Amino acid sequence: MFLHYLDLSWRSFKRTPVVSVLMVFAVAVGIGITMTSLSVYHMMSMDPIPEKSDKLFHLQLQTMEGEQTRRGSPDGLPYQMTYQDAVALSNAPIPARKVPSMKAGFSVHMNTPEVKPFIETARMTNRDFFDMFNLSFVHGGPWTLEQQDNATPVVVINEEINNRLFGGANSVGNMIYLDNRSYLVVGVMKQWKLNIKFYDVNNGAFHDAEQLFLPFSLIAPFEIDTWGNTNGWKSEETNTFQQKMRSEDLWIQFWAELNNEQEEREYGEFLMSYMQEQQKSGRFDRDQLEYALRDVLETMDYRGVVSEDNRILVGLSFMFLAVCLANILGLLLAKFLRRAPEVGVRRALGASKTQVFYQHLVEVSLLGLMGGIVGIGISQLGLWGVRLTQDYYTELATMDITMLIAAPAIAITSCVIAGLYPAWLVCGTTPATYLKTQ
Amino acid sequence: MLSMQNISKMYQTEMVQTHALKDFNLEVDEGEFIAVTGPSGSGKTTFLNIAGMLEPFTGGTYSLDGVDVGSLSDNARADLRNQKIGFIFQGFNLIPDLNLYENVEVPLRYRGIKSAERKRRIESCLEQVGLASRAKHLPQQLSGGQQQRVAIARALAGEPRFLLADEPTGNLDSLMARQVMELLEQINRDGATIIMVTHDPELARRAPRNVQIVDGQMADITLYQRNGVEPMQKIAGA
Repeated sequence: MFLHYLDLSWRSFKRTPVVSVLMVFAVAVGIGITMTSLSVYHMMSMDPIPEKSDKLFHLQLQTMEGEQTRRGSPDGLPYQMTYQDAVALSNAPIPARKVPSMKAGFSVHMNTPEVKPFIETARMTNRDFFDMFNLSFVHGGPWTLEQQDNATPVVVINEEINNRLFGGANSVGNMIYLDNRSYLVVGVMKQWKLNIKFYDVNNGAFHDAEQLFLPFSLIAPFEIDTWGNTNGWKSEETNTFQQKMRSEDLWIQFWAELNNEQEEREYGEFLMSYMQEQQKSGRFDRDQLEYALRDVLETMDYRGVVSEDNRILVGLSFMFLAVCLANILGLLLAKFLRRAPEVGVRRALGASKTQVFYQHLVEVSLLGLMGGIVGIGISQLGLWGVRLTQDYYTELATMDITMLIAAPAIAITSCVIAGLYPAWLVCGTTPATYLKTQ
Repeated sequence: MLSMQNISKMYQTEMVQTHALKDFNLEVDEGEFIAVTGPSGSGKTTFLNIAGMLEPFTGGTYSLDGVDVGSLSDNARADLRNQKIGFIFQGFNLIPDLNLYENVEVPLRYRGIKSAERKRRIESCLEQVGLASRAKHLPQQLSGGQQQRVAIARALAGEPRFLLADEPTGNLDSLMARQVMELLEQINRDGATIIMVTHDPELARRAPRNVQIVDGQMADITLYQRNGVEPMQKIAGA
């Protein structure tokens, strides 16, 4: 019967083409607007590293003394870490994988007139970073532990930089210049496409990942300063880079990979003992020692990656869809009730109320399906507009397969909801009412 | 086969109550051909609608083939209607978007009959009404008489035991009306029970039993020999 109902629905569509197209258009506009905002919201809130988001933990230590707390932080903990804590914790025996990291930036050039210099962001980190965040290489690999420990000037570049400087050839073993120093290329990383720059949301959660990766150990000898935020809470001399490295300034992010609850517990105990140890040297001068380990999704939630504004926007777009559906409900009422005489005949010929009801629900579902498909086109236009006006939304303003399936599903569900009342009304028709008046 | 005891039907508005049928009694045996006559507004169509379970009655008992219709749910009534009753309307009531084949197919689809069986029945019924060659035509491409024949084919396709006809020749000229009437008589001879509402006394006389309704009540029953002119027996105020 379903195919028969589909056939009847298509005939009904063709019988009143103008009203039908109007309804499809109304659904499509509603779905287009809704899916535009919902797609952005979906991409913003989706798990950026689902295979291990529950194993990667962002570490925060409460280094602020006395009763001081980080203003704006939900729990008062600073978002970043001091350089000295980052170095100490990255040299600690546990856990097996942990990385300090910091945003930096350089003028990139080849020291030849052929290649025009350009400014590029970089990340100073440890070699475990690549394994921890599941990054893969086109050529070469991460720098060695020896190069890391010896602060050897090496660099991992991504595909885009490799294309730009070496025309896509295997550049491992070549030198590039960052500012006024030359660095040996040890690896070419596959382009890291991220919707959310979850490992460092301090300077824009939706910015692109960095293009260059260098050993964290180079920060001290080359005095490489951060291109991100530095938060100071203590009045102290930080005129020189050496002073900054020894200061309580907060400018480093720290991630640890913990594979089970036991590792979490052990690392927590280690952190408490680390802070107690530091207290002996006058640091962490507070009554209660605090730290926080949050996995990727908890960190995104804690940092408010998806703002309340986005949620409100999604809510508003659904309200707009509801307005479109209210209009469709009116049109459906008119269309279905006009067909009451035919329903009367069908009822007289043995159609039950249920069969008439289903027939009309299939018709509104078909309408929803068509509206959903056209709506995908409209939302693509909307997302293109978002990408055009907001550079850093390039990866976010897209529809993934989930959203492509969700669009017609939402459209069909919405239309069925809008069609319930008209379908119920028409299936309740007393057949005799119309048989004489046909 | 059909039994109505003290059936009443009342329409009520804020201002007025109207009794369309009042204490209406009728027994119909299998294979009968009954003509129901009466002036306009007397309740003929209301009776037919109640007989066909197209509208509910407000009092009395009605049983069809031993089933108490009053106790059935709406869906069960639809099922019973589909299984046992065929309708022929004055205005034909064909569905304009469907061709003849599809129109005849409507009751069969609701009964859940398989495609091959549907095809056999539809072709047989269209053959019976002489329209097999026009199966793909739309209703508006046919004359009134032809449309009524399609409606008869549609009523027959479900192989109903009961055929309810409401002024089946009302919209037809006399030639067409005679052809349709002959077709109905043939169907009755083949075993179907027919109740036909008509204004036309000449057509009514062709049915062996006439029931006259006046003001929603049975006025009298006249028995004719098939196609007779003079009544065999008249039961006034039956």
